[in-house]
Amino acid sequence: MNHRADVKRFEELFAPHMNAAYNLARWLTGNESAAHDVVQESALRAFKFMHRFAGGNARAWLLAITRNQSYTWLKQAAGNKWVSIGDEMPEDDLALGHTETPELSAIRSQDTALVRQALAALPPQFREVIVLKELEGMAYKDIATVADIPVGTVMSRLARGRTMLKTELLKLYAHE
Amino acid sequence: MNEMNCNNCQRWLHGYLDNELDTATATLVAAHLEACLKCKHQYEEMKTLIADVKEHVPYYEAPASLTRNVFSAIQAQASPAASIWQTIQDRSRNWFVPAFSMAVLAASVLLYIAVPTNQNLWVDEAVSEHVRSLMAEHLNDVASSDKHTVKPWFTGKLDFSPPVYDFTAQGYPLLGGRLDYLQHQTVAALIYRYNKHIINVFIMPTGEADSSPASLSARGYNIVCWQQNHMRFIAVSDLNRGELMTFSQLVQKGM
Repeated sequence: MNHRADVKRFEELFAPHMNAAYNLARWLTGNESAAHDVVQESALRAFKFMHRFAGGNARAWLLAITRNQSYTWLKQAAGNKWVSIGDEMPEDDLALGHTETPELSAIRSQDTALVRQALAALPPQFREVIVLKELEGMAYKDIATVADIPVGTVMSRLARGRTMLKTELLKLYAHE
Repeated sequence: MNEMNCNNCQRWLHGYLDNELDTATATLVAAHLEACLKCKHQYEEMKTLIADVKEHVPYYEAPASLTRNVFSAIQAQASPAASIWQTIQDRSRNWFVPAFSMAVLAASVLLYIAVPTNQNLWVDEAVSEHVRSLMAEHLNDVASSDKHTVKPWFTGKLDFSPPVYDFTAQGYPLLGGRLDYLQHQTVAALIYRYNKHIINVFIMPTGEADSSPASLSARGYNIVCWQQNHMRFIAVSDLNRGELMTFSQLVQKGM
């Protein structure tokens, strides 16, 4: 494989997904320049390990790398303290959703700044599934590839994440 | 799954909202939603929430400079010299020793032919990079009129050391330096200004003999090329031919 063909293949596979990579990195790191570095590093890794890409969803493959790089950055930014990316809260404990909570519909989340703030407040493993589903419009099986979790877990994480987002929004409205 | 209660519905509801359930399960969820007001309410609420997120959460698009940097870096990584050598190595494994030496000879001839000696290729790309540098507002990686700032900046980024001079006294102030990519190799770009005109000087190592500055034009730009001390120089600008030649001679004498 000569370098011209490699570069061409890289451009064909991954150039269309630079926005997706940047959006995910930007949401995970919460930081413009970090997102820039993360995407640059991810693209170089994708190029280096391109021979391992065995077909399938190129966007999900690139985003999986971007996600890992984002978490690496988060860990470093936290002063090498451990940033939890695992599931401290049991995924199946969804009882929360059925407790009596105020009516979200009564206040409608119309305020862009508040919705953004609420999403940014979620732990990264819930924030990322919402970004991948709602903003990127990805299917569960592709989100599973990116986040390296089973498809069933994607669904419960979205259930949990959306419920948390609702709670967060209500909290923010209460402070308004 | 054959029992749909509120507890199960909490989880399946989201697969239902996202159209990710098989028909049988989706039917069970739909039936439960019809029968259970509490879950139906939850469903409507989540539907609203999802619509709000889609509408109000910003999608951050990659800045143009990032995309440009990424592809420049990829091109720099895929160096042609390395890959030709790799090809020779790969092939040599399968060949007999006499054949191998023939192959090396053949490959070196191939290498000689494959490396573009045609000045037009360089010039064409240099003009493109000049235009791009003006459009992308990415003129300088290091912005400084001090050659003692610009020259060391290149150290460690290039495997050669480009000569850097400031010609402010002569009316051509140095604006800064930048890494650029021509013919898939990393080159130094020095940026000078003359009145309102920007001049890009591209510098890269070459095996070719020294030559005096030659003037040409392409796509409305003037170009002056020369070789000196195993470096190829390409100056590109919208300056007129005479002024660019005067500038090029300054650069040439500068060293």
